[in-house]
Amino acid sequence: MAEEFVYDPERNYDEATLAQLRDMEKEIADRQNLISNRIAFDKLSEEYAKEDEIYRTKIQGDLKNRYDYVRKTRGDGNCFFRAFGFAYLEKLLTDQTDLKRFKDVAQNSKSELVKLGFPEFTIEDFHETFMEVVGKVENQCSLDELLETFNNQGLSDYIVVYLRLLVSGFLQKEADFYSCFIEGDRSMKEFCNQEVEPMGKESDHIHIIALTNVLGVPVRVEYMDRGDSLRCNQHVFPEDSTPLVTLLYRPGHYDILYT
Amino acid sequence: MAEYKQLTLNPPEGIIAGPVNEENFFEWEALIMGPEGTCFEGGVFPARLTFPPDYPLGPPKMKFTCDLFHPNIYPDGRVCISILHAPGDDPMGYETSAERWSPVQSVEKILLSVVSMLAEPNDESAANVDAAKMWRDERDKFEEMAVKHVRKSLGL
Repeated sequence: MAEEFVYDPERNYDEATLAQLRDMEKEIADRQNLISNRIAFDKLSEEYAKEDEIYRTKIQGDLKNRYDYVRKTRGDGNCFFRAFGFAYLEKLLTDQTDLKRFKDVAQNSKSELVKLGFPEFTIEDFHETFMEVVGKVENQCSLDELLETFNNQGLSDYIVVYLRLLVSGFLQKEADFYSCFIEGDRSMKEFCNQEVEPMGKESDHIHIIALTNVLGVPVRVEYMDRGDSLRCNQHVFPEDSTPLVTLLYRPGHYDILYT
Repeated sequence: MAEYKQLTLNPPEGIIAGPVNEENFFEWEALIMGPEGTCFEGGVFPARLTFPPDYPLGPPKMKFTCDLFHPNIYPDGRVCISILHAPGDDPMGYETSAERWSPVQSVEKILLSVVSMLAEPNDESAANVDAAKMWRDERDKFEEMAVKHVRKSLGL
């Protein structure tokens, strides 16, 4: 039997709820790195088997035939951005073909955001950190160093914030077109203030479309749901492009896939 | 740091804010002038801002250190407005259009929101229910209270 709830006006329930949320976040943080090492599929399906037969079938019968490894990301609401950022920079470490183009886009993106009305002093720290990490990749840092950067909460979160700002900037710039895709009766600016810019807000299709567009980095997503199909459905953003990064989506979460 | 510079170089009208001391940038003091044309006009209200270690990813907390009787200020001085909360962290069920905390908000934006909160209380999401009731039903009495606190804030 739960104790009967008695409202205590002296107590701050708001803060008690937040403290509980923080405890839950900490528990997840202790269990899962922001970005894990590469894990072979066999090990992964063992993990899933305990909880879910359908996932196990899809991994064994489909994903395993097409991919070799997965990197897991922490489920903190930022996983799409963190997975995308890490996977793409990791790709640039071994293949620098796209690096110069990407660096220019990233470098110029700050003035684009300022033009859209973001106060410069609120975005420059995020931009600077982002460019420093791009610089590391340009100077061919080791994979371990990149992994360490993405597992450093401070640095990693600043990268996520900057990617969020890029999405917000793109959607606000293209608001005429994209406003028909947002839920609820709100302006694009309100949507971005509430669903894109704050940390921990989960990503939807519209976030993915915006990020792949603004950076010019196509991505493939394998959708693994609990549906009857034996295979995962895949979708490439934007359609008909050659993806540089592949992510695995399970409802509510993104990890990274490797061939 | 950049924010402090920004606020010092371009101070918005009626607001002064800065770190309590040079060693600790996570505690700020602010002075807010009561907005003109409202019952808080003429008051100078001191407040404290406390920043979390992950600022600006998370919002600071703000607390008035003087007496203020207002629907959106808890009796102990804590300010309760939507911009001090990230979406999802929703103690008052703010309207969906309300401005929320995000890493590109700033102290300046918060303080400006606080000034408009003083001018236009939001009695839909009240932190001080008595103040909200009085503001709604007995405006004269509410204004009298405000003037009392204005005088007190000036040491009169």
